[in-house]
Amino acid sequence: MKENKIVFYGSILSFIIASCLFVYTAYASNMLSYLSSDPKACINCHTMDSAYATWSRSSHKNVAKCIDCHLPVGDFIAKYKSKAVDGWNHSVAYTLNTYKNNIRISEDGANRVQANCVRCHSKTSSQMLVNKNNYHADSDEALKNGRRCWECHKYTPHGKVRSLTSTPYTLGVNVKMK
Amino acid sequence: MKKFKLLLAGSVLAIACMSALLANINEKKEETKSLRSVPKMDRWETKNEEFRKLYPRQYDSWKKTRNSDDIGDMLKEYPELVVLWAGYGFAKDYNAPRGHFYAIEDNRNTLRTGGPVDAKSGPMPTACWTCKGPDVPRLINEVGEEEFFSGKWAKYGSDIINPIGCVDCHNPETMELQVNRPHLKRALASNPDLINMEDATQQDMRSLVCAQCHVEYYFKKVKTAAGKKAAIVTLPWAKGTSVDDMEKYYDEINFKDWTHKISKTPMLKAQHPGYEMWMTGAHGRNGVSCADCHMPYKNEGGIKYTDHNIGNPLDNMDNSCMTCHRVSEASLLDNIQRKKERKTELHKDAMEVIAAAHLEAGKAWELGATKEEMAPVLMDIRHAQWRWDYAVASHPAFFHAPEETLRVLATAVKLGGEARLKLSKILAKYGAIDYKVPVYSTKEEAQKVTNLPFKKLIDQKMKFRNGLLKEWKKEAEEKGIYNPKSTEMVKDKTSYGQ
Repeated sequence: MKENKIVFYGSILSFIIASCLFVYTAYASNMLSYLSSDPKACINCHTMDSAYATWSRSSHKNVAKCIDCHLPVGDFIAKYKSKAVDGWNHSVAYTLNTYKNNIRISEDGANRVQANCVRCHSKTSSQMLVNKNNYHADSDEALKNGRRCWECHKYTPHGKVRSLTSTPYTLGVNVKMK
Repeated sequence: MKKFKLLLAGSVLAIACMSALLANINEKKEETKSLRSVPKMDRWETKNEEFRKLYPRQYDSWKKTRNSDDIGDMLKEYPELVVLWAGYGFAKDYNAPRGHFYAIEDNRNTLRTGGPVDAKSGPMPTACWTCKGPDVPRLINEVGEEEFFSGKWAKYGSDIINPIGCVDCHNPETMELQVNRPHLKRALASNPDLINMEDATQQDMRSLVCAQCHVEYYFKKVKTAAGKKAAIVTLPWAKGTSVDDMEKYYDEINFKDWTHKISKTPMLKAQHPGYEMWMTGAHGRNGVSCADCHMPYKNEGGIKYTDHNIGNPLDNMDNSCMTCHRVSEASLLDNIQRKKERKTELHKDAMEVIAAAHLEAGKAWELGATKEEMAPVLMDIRHAQWRWDYAVASHPAFFHAPEETLRVLATAVKLGGEARLKLSKILAKYGAIDYKVPVYSTKEEAQKVTNLPFKKLIDQKMKFRNGLLKEWKKEAEEKGIYNPKSTEMVKDKTSYGQ
């Protein structure tokens, strides 16, 4: 009987401690900020400082936030699925330090960004398709969507050089944080 | 019971995992803090070379402003200026701008600042230092604005020693951009149509730091709380920033920079309303900031940074213009050249007509014209010259705002013409209908027309440079605010050849 009591109270107590700890973890990790669309949520991890700083000095800074390019827009389910998958991968990499200085976008991520380039710049991209048909440029891989926008527009929007070690002046992050 | 055992095991496991995670989170937060920290630097470190070890690329590019070292004697190029500014400092010496690196050198060497022999002599007030370097905001912070703006220029000779540099635009604690000089903040607050300093974005700041100096201003005479006379740098923006708004502002407070030596006109000197002009032009209206063209981004060994070699963007078109304009450099240059030619045509017309009006007014006074007769003429001359000066005194307004520049110059020519029409009646009345203004075609001849004691000015200046100036440098070194090595490469260059 005594043993049962210890198990009973012990389990309740540890459950309460675990719950409190969960609330604190949620607070410490800014968990709720990931539900927002604020670019600052992306620099909760300093790994993104370079991406944030280059974007905040780019032509896109006033017209597109991180998620406007990097997450599916319009499809709620696709958006949260991507958020969940990326979120898991990013937090594992950040926690276990398995990322490298020169971070490359995943194939899935690149497809999303490409779709978002076209979403806003459809006038330009649709004209390119029209031109392709007009001039029978079927052999042009670029126009068959074989290439992505940023293979030519190399500086958009993060600049050409964006390894974590090549952007030492991310002091702008501080400015935006105040 | 089994359920509780499971709960216990589950909770203990969760506690263990979350504790490990929290430890990791805290560790990353510390990491982030150190990664985002700004190297420690004293708030009022004004020696620019001290920043080199922390920001080598920015410093080295800033130092290249030293290469912009040609002295372009504007008085020699346009002798009319000697007549237009007769009785005022600018008639003594006026050169085309050189790099930021020379701000202090040029301020000390120009004949305008005269040859003081001690802290209390010389023709100019302390306000003439206002834009010359980071020691100015340091001093204003130390002694207060009223004290800073009282006394003679020579008062701060050993305190203001480092040329326009880091702390003029940056707060060294965070390196963020900042407006350091109170006059700009006051001016923006004086007019609700202008940017509110609190709401200024990073992009706004990329122009506002320049607007600390590249603006129109005047010295407002006030009596300080300590009973001293002060001349405080003030921007006349309360009514607006156009040439007409500022003219109204000055007229209403009856302000004059000086009285013209020949025509006795209460004159206005336009300083360099670069920011105001830029706002009206295509680039300004499209939100292209000063830094976008004058300090374009640059890549060096894989690192991107802002070029601090501030100068003519046309020397660096690949990084400046070509970022946006997808046409050939040659066609852009050709366009700009034509803009310049149009400006120069009206610029010369305006100078010619206004200089003639001054000389004819001088003749009218000589012949006994009355104050009442001359009042409307002087008003026309005042406005004409203010407008001409406004259009040409800022760094190339013909480029920043070509339409506005031509409009303002056109009104200057018109007002100058009206003054001469009125003068011809007055001259006719006093029997001098055939009066011809003296002919002069060089700076020296113009100095003769206006009785400028040029030789004396140079002698005074040289005495100052060989005496007091050397003491200033020594004192500044003793105060620990000056590193003589930072200027040892500099050769004195002046328009008066010494």
